[in-house]
Amino acid sequence: MIALVIVVVAGPLAGSVAAASGARARVAGWAGAAGAAVALACSVGLLSSQLHHAPLLAWDGYLYVDSLSCFFLFTVAAVTLLAAVGSVAYLSAEEDAGRLTGFQVRLYFIFFGLFAALMLGALETGNLGLLFVLIEASTLASAALVGLEARASALEAAWKYVIISSFGVTIALAGTLFLFYSASGLHLPPDLRLAWPYLFSHSRALAPDSLRLAFLLAVVGYGTKVGLAPMHTWLPDAHAEAPSPASAMLSAALLNTGMYAIMRFLAITRARLGADFPRNVLLTFGFLSIVIGVLFMIRQGNFKRLFAYSSVEHMGIIAVALGFGGVLGLYGALLQTLNHAIAKAVLFLTSGDVALRYRTREAAGVTGLLAAVPLTGGALLLGSFAVLGSPPFGLFLSELTIVRAGFAASGPALPLLLLALLAVAFVAFARTTTGMLTGQVAAAPAVVAAAAVSPGATGPAPPGPAATSTVLAERVTASTAATDTVRPSASPYRGRWTALAATAPLVVGLAALLVLGLWIPAGLDAVIRHCVAVLS
Amino acid sequence: MQSLSATSATGVLLDLSGVLILLLAFACLGSKLFNRYVAYYGAQSVVLSFAAGVAAYAFHSIELWILAVATLAIKGIGIPVSARRLLVQRLDLKRDAALSTGLSTSLIAGGALTAFAYLVTRPELLPHGVVAAAVVPLSTAVILLGGLAMVVRRHTVAQLIGWLIVENGVFLGAITLVATFPFIVEAGIFLDLVAGVLIMLVFVSGLTRRLASASAADLKELQG
Repeated sequence: MIALVIVVVAGPLAGSVAAASGARARVAGWAGAAGAAVALACSVGLLSSQLHHAPLLAWDGYLYVDSLSCFFLFTVAAVTLLAAVGSVAYLSAEEDAGRLTGFQVRLYFIFFGLFAALMLGALETGNLGLLFVLIEASTLASAALVGLEARASALEAAWKYVIISSFGVTIALAGTLFLFYSASGLHLPPDLRLAWPYLFSHSRALAPDSLRLAFLLAVVGYGTKVGLAPMHTWLPDAHAEAPSPASAMLSAALLNTGMYAIMRFLAITRARLGADFPRNVLLTFGFLSIVIGVLFMIRQGNFKRLFAYSSVEHMGIIAVALGFGGVLGLYGALLQTLNHAIAKAVLFLTSGDVALRYRTREAAGVTGLLAAVPLTGGALLLGSFAVLGSPPFGLFLSELTIVRAGFAASGPALPLLLLALLAVAFVAFARTTTGMLTGQVAAAPAVVAAAAVSPGATGPAPPGPAATSTVLAERVTASTAATDTVRPSASPYRGRWTALAATAPLVVGLAALLVLGLWIPAGLDAVIRHCVAVLS
Repeated sequence: MQSLSATSATGVLLDLSGVLILLLAFACLGSKLFNRYVAYYGAQSVVLSFAAGVAAYAFHSIELWILAVATLAIKGIGIPVSARRLLVQRLDLKRDAALSTGLSTSLIAGGALTAFAYLVTRPELLPHGVVAAAVVPLSTAVILLGGLAMVVRRHTVAQLIGWLIVENGVFLGAITLVATFPFIVEAGIFLDLVAGVLIMLVFVSGLTRRLASASAADLKELQG
C-alpha cells in the first residue's frame, strides 16, 4: 500500500528527471506521460483497495489516505495524464517552431513534473500543516510554468499569481494555526494535533470560537487558490498566459487541490459547529463566484480567459454544492469536481491546439474552425457543450444533482437562482465559441502572415471553402483585414506520434465525459458514497 | 503542554518581542524608502529569531534552537542582504513613489487594523494554557499590517516585503505554541519561504528588464 502511495507521487517526476538530464521535448514529454500513466494506474489501485480497507494511516498522520484523498488523487492523476500527453504535442511544436528555447522546454518539463508531484503529495498527507507546505510549494512550481514564455504579459501574470496566491495561502496557514489553538485542549502528542483524522474524531473537544475563525481563514486562504471570488483575480491572467497544457493543470488539478483542503476544514467545522455556519460562508462565496464568473464571461474576447472565468463559475458551483450539503450536495460536488476537471482539461488542450494553429488567443481572430480543422473544432464544440452542462455529458448529471440538493436543503430561491445563472453562462460561453467554430475560413494572404509567424508550418494549407473561389476569396480578404482573422496554418505538429499526442487526450477526455453522463460505473458510485461518508 | 504565565520572564520577553515586531511593521508601513523597507524587515526578523531563542531556552527544545538560528541566518541576514544587493542597488531603487494612499492614511488604517486584531482574538477565544497568549493578537495585527502594506504599495519590491512581513506574523503566532507545533511543518514553511523569495526575485528582475520600472501600477496589460 505505502509503495503504491509513493509511486503515485513519484510517477510524474519521471518527466522532470528526463528533462533535468538534458532530454529534448519529445523524450522528456513521453517520459512524463508514461510516469503520469503509472501514477494514474496506482491511484486506481488505491481507490479499489480503499473500498474494502480502512484508511491508510502512517508516520504520525503525515501520511493519510482515505477514500476522499483517493478520489482526488484519481482526478488529479487523470488530468495530469491528459495534460502530460498534451504537453508532448504543444511543447515539441513550440520547440520545432523556435518559439521556445531548449532551456525553456527543459524548465517546463522539470516544473510540470514537480507541480504534479507536489499536488499529489498534498492529497496524501493527513497533516494540515504539511498540506499547507505542499500547496504553497505547488504554487511556486506552477508560477514558474505561468512565467515560462517570459513575455512581459506572462511575467506580469506570474507575478500576480505568485504574490496573490502566496499571500492567500499564508492566510490559510493562519487558519491552520487557529485550528491548532482550538485543539490545544486535546491530549494528543504534538505531531498528531494537526493530523486530520484525530482532529475529526475529537472534533467535539475543539474550542468553537477559535475553530470558527480557523474555518473562515481557511476558506479565504485556500479559496484564493480555488479561485473563489473576490480572491480570483490572479486566475484569468495565469490561465491565459501559461502554456495551454499548464493552464489545463491549473484549472483542472490545482483548483481542485485547493477545494480538497477546504473540504477537510469543512468536515471538522461541520462536525463541531453544525451545518449553518459553514453553509452560510460557502453559499456566499459560491454564489459570488458564479455571478462574477458569468458576468466576466459575457464580454470576453480572449478564449483562454473565457475558459478561466468558466472555471471560477464552476468552482463557485462546487462551493455552493458543499454549502447545500447533505448526501446529495456532497455527492454532486464530488461528481462535479471530476466532470469539470476532465472537461476543462479537454477545453484548455483544445485552446492550445487552436493557439498553435492561429497564433492568437482572441476569439475574434478565429473563424470557421469546424471546417478548417474538424477534429479540433469538434472537440471545442463538444467540450463547450459538456462544460456548459448540456446532456448527455457528465456535468448535466452533476449539476442536476446539485440543484436537487438545493431544493432539499433550502427553499426554492437559491436553486432557481443557480439555474438562472447557469442559463446566462450557457449563452455567454456558447456565443463566443460558436463564433469561433462557424463562419468562413480566412483567406490566402493571411496564410503568408501566419506562416511568417510560425516557421514550423510547412506544407500547403488545407483547402477551405474560401480558397475555391477567387471572388469569394477577395471578399473574405477584405473582411479579414477588417476583423483581423487569421487563417490556420497547416498542422503544427511534426511526426505522427506528436500529432497523435495532440488529439488523443481530446478524444479520450470527451469519451470519458460521455460515459460519465450516461452511466456512473458502480465502482465510482461506491467511492463517491464512501467520500460522502467521510465528509459527514 | 507546558504552560507559562504571562508574568514569567519568558512570557514577558515574548510579549516584548511581539510588541517590537509590531512596531517595526508600523515603521515599514510608514516609510517611503526602499532601503528602509529592507532594513526594517531585517530588524524584525532579528527580533523574531530572538523570540524563538527565548522560547527555545525556556523549553530546552533543540528544534526551536535550529529555527532561531535559521531565522537569524536566512530572514535576518540572507534575505535583507540579497534584497539590497539584487534589487535595491542593482535596480537603483530609492524613493517609492507608487503609493496608492498617503502615509498618514495608511498609518491610521494600520492602527484600525491593529484594534481589529485585538477585537477578533479576544482572550477567551484561546484555550487556557497557551504560552504568552498576548502574542496571538500581536501576530494577527502583524499579518494584517503586512497585507495592508501589500495593498497600499504598488511597487513589486514593496509588495514582496509586505508578503515577508505577513510571513513573519504567522511565524510569530507559531512560536507562541513553542515546543508543540510540529517541527517538520515549520521546516517546510521555511523551505517554501526561501523558494518563494528566490522565484519572486527572478520575476521582479525579469519584469524590471521588460518594463523599465517594476511598479505594479504599470501592470495593466491584463484586465477584464
